[in-house]
Amino acid sequence: MPMKQNIQRTILAVAVTAATLAGVQPASSAEALKIGISAGLTGYAATVDRAWRDGVQVAADALNAQGGVMGRKIEVVVEDNRSEPQEAVTVYRKMMSSDNVDVFISGCVSAGNFAAASMVAKAEKPMMLCSILPQQAAQVKWAFTTLPPAGFEVEKRFEYLRDKTDIRKVGVLHDPTPYALLQKTVAQDVAAKYGLQVVGVESYKQDDADLSVQISKIQAAGAGAIIKIGLGGTTLTAAKNLKQLNSNMLMLTSLEDLAVFKPVAEVLGDKFFFVASPSQVYDALPDSATKAEIGKFLGPWRAKYGDRDPNWASRGWDGVMLTVAAIVNGKSAEGPAIRDNIEKITGFQGTTGVYNFTAANHQGITQNPFVLATIAGNQVKIVQ
Amino acid sequence: MTAANSPVLDGPVLEARNLSARYGQVQALAPIDFQVGAGELVAVLGPNGAGKSTLLRAILGLVTNAGEVAFMGAALPRRNPVAVASRGVVLVPEGRGIFGPMTVMENLELGAYRLKDRHERQRRFDRVFELFPRLKERLGQTAGSMSGGEQQMLAIGRALMADPKILLLDEPSLGLAPRVTDEILETLGVLNRSGLPVVLVEQRAPQALKLAHRAYLLSLGRLVAVIDPREVQSHDQLAQYYFA
Amino acid sequence: MTSSPSTTLREAARAPARGSLRGHAARAAPWLIAACVVGYALVVGGYAATVVAFALIYAIFVSGLNIFMGLTAQVSFGQSAFAAIGGYASAVLTTEYEWGLLPAMGAGLAGALAFAFVVGYPTLRLKGHYLSMATLAIGLITYEIAVQWDSVTQGYLGISGIPPLGIAGYEATTDRQILIVLSVCVIATVLAVARIRRSRVGRAFAGLAGSEEAARALGINVARYKLLSFLLSAGFGSLAGSLFVHVVGYVSPEVFSLHMIILSFTMLYVGGIGTIAGPVVGALVVSVLPETFRAFRDYQDLAYGTALILLLIFAPRGLAGLFTAIEEKRSP
Repeated sequence: MPMKQNIQRTILAVAVTAATLAGVQPASSAEALKIGISAGLTGYAATVDRAWRDGVQVAADALNAQGGVMGRKIEVVVEDNRSEPQEAVTVYRKMMSSDNVDVFISGCVSAGNFAAASMVAKAEKPMMLCSILPQQAAQVKWAFTTLPPAGFEVEKRFEYLRDKTDIRKVGVLHDPTPYALLQKTVAQDVAAKYGLQVVGVESYKQDDADLSVQISKIQAAGAGAIIKIGLGGTTLTAAKNLKQLNSNMLMLTSLEDLAVFKPVAEVLGDKFFFVASPSQVYDALPDSATKAEIGKFLGPWRAKYGDRDPNWASRGWDGVMLTVAAIVNGKSAEGPAIRDNIEKITGFQGTTGVYNFTAANHQGITQNPFVLATIAGNQVKIVQ
Repeated sequence: MTAANSPVLDGPVLEARNLSARYGQVQALAPIDFQVGAGELVAVLGPNGAGKSTLLRAILGLVTNAGEVAFMGAALPRRNPVAVASRGVVLVPEGRGIFGPMTVMENLELGAYRLKDRHERQRRFDRVFELFPRLKERLGQTAGSMSGGEQQMLAIGRALMADPKILLLDEPSLGLAPRVTDEILETLGVLNRSGLPVVLVEQRAPQALKLAHRAYLLSLGRLVAVIDPREVQSHDQLAQYYFA
Repeated sequence: MTSSPSTTLREAARAPARGSLRGHAARAAPWLIAACVVGYALVVGGYAATVVAFALIYAIFVSGLNIFMGLTAQVSFGQSAFAAIGGYASAVLTTEYEWGLLPAMGAGLAGALAFAFVVGYPTLRLKGHYLSMATLAIGLITYEIAVQWDSVTQGYLGISGIPPLGIAGYEATTDRQILIVLSVCVIATVLAVARIRRSRVGRAFAGLAGSEEAARALGINVARYKLLSFLLSAGFGSLAGSLFVHVVGYVSPEVFSLHMIILSFTMLYVGGIGTIAGPVVGALVVSVLPETFRAFRDYQDLAYGTALILLLIFAPRGLAGLFTAIEEKRSP
């Protein structure tokens, strides 16, 4: 993609120039570019947000190794918001007034990002998020997300059921988080488009230790597959319950850390499918621009973290690269300039897919980048 | 006992008929008839678990009870300790029930909790300080930091602030040195001689009998005997009652 | 003599402390500390202002809790429920129905009081553990309602765009304005609680705190005053909830989670339960302390935990209690 190459070339050119000039630059202009992360390093978002933070750091390190951005080293400031909105407000504030961060590339605690959004907007700092976007127009103006639309994960699963199976009735099993609720709504809305019928919608809580009641209800309603939406240990619980009930239903789960899926696959075998992002199935991907970009990320990532799941971290990497592209294109690290230039990014090849931002659309992934995968013999396999 | 101490028998001030009490399913007090005459000091004796405290609690209505209790000729409500207290039947509970973190002053004020008239309140303060000069010295001290004897004085003083028509005391000597007990009991004698009927629950029978006009002896939740203190000649004789 | 006899007595009762300069100092110390912290935040602004603003809101919340737990010696794990009712009432009514700030707050207050009455009337007859468990359930159920009733509360998505604090056209939007408004609210709360404590009602609370049976024997209607204490604490809880949503501009169920209960209990015990200054000092210290340890990074929680334990060892009656203890020791 020419656009992508352009940007990379620009980055490289700038980096090289910066590196050469580094010796003669006055100290003030070499002041670090500060990226702030409000992340739930503890609390319910810990797994995801720690990965996101590490991805941001890997990206910053990679850029710094090439001389930083426009002659400025990147410095990452991380504060733990404990997955709580009130803490998030405090740490956002701390990073703005004490650390003087230039831009936020914050984690996945939606409520925390929402709670701080109006304050951050008032300070005219852009935020590149891992969570869904805030609701208020004045706040969305300053917020961008690397998160694909909620529907993509659902549609990928529906496509598979439509194309590869004769299952036409499905049940939805979801937790009450905002992202899961969004997916649930999409599932109900688009099922008909895929010739499917949602015959049961059941909810559970993240710490439930048994889901057999919900699963039995869905089975009794005649579903041939369960669309499970939500993270964590409940996926394994659902798998065990399915087995105990001797159910023939397939289980198709949403995006998740691969580590969670291996024991699930041992329980359910070929009745288990999951939505995966491209970085999780890197080895099975055919050569493409996406694969090349993932490769750039996976090199340093694997060097540092081995086979730790790259999904959330790769989005953090994308968050940094998008922000840096906006800075380089606008030749400015001022908040409003970054904001304006993120809105101009189109056709940007990231590790998760291609990002297209506009003034009206702050959710950059517009084409479904996901694949449906399964685990056979300890190997992740793409099924569609 | 001298004639001056004799009760004025104008009919009982407090009269319980068939009063019994239970904690859940457990009968703690078998039906008992109990009387206090005007100006009388009645002792309630008996070993641990005899039902002495339960009797007092039943009179107040602090425990599930059955039977009738009349005070100054009118029936007392059976399940409403607040109403009973407002009629002038005031209990100094076991363990004193003083409010440790509060000052002596605040404790005493709580005794006159229902009173709004400042001058009347002052009169009552004066009366308490006359009986217990030591409380006046310690008005600003927290009650919890005082000695056991002083706390007991405070508990009685607080009860007097409510201007009782009859005073019920549950083991005021508990945990106190003999000398202090004597002092407290002596004060109760003074109060009683001023005309205040008193019901005194005690384990230390000899001391109580010195003051009392009559004594009820309880054991295992039953009335064993009504004793005339003048007839009790020796400790042995009392022991016979206990183990009869 | 112009003073009434009972005033004279009151003076006498307080004489030992009042006479000494140290006594004065000891009583003023917690307030001075609080004033310094708020003053610092006012001058420095920024991040300190945010931390102290939250602390002031918590000071009101914990002062309310203190009426029930400190003055009346009951236990409630459900105080967050009332903050949630106040907070959500303010949030929903000002955003969805465009009510004014004060009417919305008033509606939240009325809702919280009504809920406290309905819940308190039966549960306050329970004793000890049963009451605690019942109040814990109230908090958890309210949280669940905030999550599940998404047509009104938007569930985990939360409600944003809540207008800032303001009255009659004046809005508190800058840090300093917010801090001043909150400080005024805290002062009003403190004066109200102090007044309650000194009143007949307060004496009745203290009485049933000391011994329910003794209180009953003195003619205090225990059930009625327990309920009144519960209602008062619910009222302050609701106000704190409303203030929170207006200051942050956003509300979601997590704000009123178990975390809030744990935090407020810590504040109450660190500050000094049953004292007037305790909740304010506790809220400020417990909010500011972890921030001062933030530089320790991974050891932040460890340092904070250690500091809390040390505080509770050396000041078991809380910081406010510590000052009075010093005062008592020095003026025998």
